Amino acid sequence: MLAIEVKGLYFYYVKGEYVLEDINFEIEEGESVVIMGSNGAGKTTLIKHFNGLLKPIKGHVKVLGKDTKECTVAELSKLVGIVFQNPGHQLFAETVEKEVRFALENFGFSENEIRRRVSEILKYFALEKYKNLSPFNLSEGEKKRLAIASVLVYEPDIVVLDEPTIGQDAIQRKKIAEVLRGLIRDGKTVIAVTHDVEFAVELFQRAIILSRGRLIADGDVKDVLTDQEILKAANLLPSQITECAWLLRDLGFPNCIVSIQELEEHIIKALRG
Amino acid sequence: MSHFRTTVLRGFEFKKKDTIIHRLDPRAKAVYVFVMSAITLLFTTPIPIIMTFLSSLIVVVFAKVVKEWSSTMKGIIILSLFIFVVNYLVAPTDKLNYAVSMTMRLIALTSIFSIFFLTTSPEDFSLALLKLGVPYEYTLIFTMALRFIPTLAKDLQMIIDAQRSRGLELEKGNIIQRIKRFLPILVPLVIYEIKRSFMVAEALEARAFGAVESRTYFYEIRMKLIDWALSTSLIISLVLILYLYFMNILPEWLFWKVPG
Repeated sequence: MLAIEVKGLYFYYVKGEYVLEDINFEIEEGESVVIMGSNGAGKTTLIKHFNGLLKPIKGHVKVLGKDTKECTVAELSKLVGIVFQNPGHQLFAETVEKEVRFALENFGFSENEIRRRVSEILKYFALEKYKNLSPFNLSEGEKKRLAIASVLVYEPDIVVLDEPTIGQDAIQRKKIAEVLRGLIRDGKTVIAVTHDVEFAVELFQRAIILSRGRLIADGDVKDVLTDQEILKAANLLPSQITECAWLLRDLGFPNCIVSIQELEEHIIKALRG
Repeated sequence: MSHFRTTVLRGFEFKKKDTIIHRLDPRAKAVYVFVMSAITLLFTTPIPIIMTFLSSLIVVVFAKVVKEWSSTMKGIIILSLFIFVVNYLVAPTDKLNYAVSMTMRLIALTSIFSIFFLTTSPEDFSLALLKLGVPYEYTLIFTMALRFIPTLAKDLQMIIDAQRSRGLELEKGNIIQRIKRFLPILVPLVIYEIKRSFMVAEALEARAFGAVESRTYFYEIRMKLIDWALSTSLIISLVLILYLYFMNILPEWLFWKVPG
């Protein structure tokens, strides 16, 4: 079954000034997709269509077969969990535990189920020791993890993250990558908006690239994010590994290297002659 | 669900345009706001207030801000209904007249202030206050407050989106439940904006804010002939209206009351 189907999507905030134009793609259940592009390309606007926060001006968006125009945000949010870029826009409760309970209470889960899920998710995100603390006393990395936990706790079928690694140090970034890897392994549909090319090639199978509201590339993450023209059009820099491979092109290194293992193999091969 | 947009705040954002109203000196526009507000507050019958409101429509058209002004007016529909009901309930006599007048007063004042903020850049307004002798620190507070309206609107929209994405349904339940549901919106908004204000203060200090007592300004504002003419005629009109009002020689139809 298709997790998300976007067909002929057009959207504007100010009449006539299109932010998204003729967007078409399908995402299968269990796929991991990264949406990339320059600032103002329409990435966040696009993901806001997945849970009905925004409705298409033209075209349609279907989530697990449901047309978003015919569903409420609450109905769609149960299927699509969106973690927004800035935890500061979301955290409000007196304690970490209450913050995580919030969505479960909104969706009408039973008290026993709420307790079980909250306890599990806090353990999983290593936030258990902070459960009685105010979310505002946490570090930025912990706040980000809490924001993710407060969405994953209700186990949506599709998880969407807006800039999950922005402002995160290497350790927090690693922790977030670990969580996403787990979700992908469990067969969830995971979609992320990011500028972090290294993060994208490390975790995702497919990349969708937007530029000025139009879809300019859609394909295997390795092919898309090693294509110089696409990267240029989307104001993205290649990963350092890819750039290194490009510099060694004359020694027979292929253009589409994205992982350190591949690079290592080719270096060893080149050294052995 | 798009009715949760922060449209009302958009009607107070300055839009740079080249119109006769935009080109007026901010002090002349301040006089306009003062005179029109005084007339609106002077009367408790609807006709003069409606006349003030209608006159503001002409300014809106000349300033080419109909779209922005309309979003503000749309945004206060619910507040107007609330004002109408409350005034109808509390008025001792002439209930309907009082409720209509007070509601029209809100609408007229919103229109007048909206025109001012839509056509006056915060920098111009700040300079006008300085010319009137207000210390720079205070004018800056006001300028920054205006400057941050779009930012505040953006943050508010992001918070609403984030909480609705976690199943918060603002439109569900009775009035008490609905008010309670705004808590997850207000708490992050207040905390976020307080944090932002500290960051802005630090950024200002890092750029030598308050380092010297007398500062210079990049550009100046000057009252032109049209500004003097407008301000003088507005003040004369107000004085005349006040004289006629207190001498009880204004035409009677201005004091017509809504029956009921």
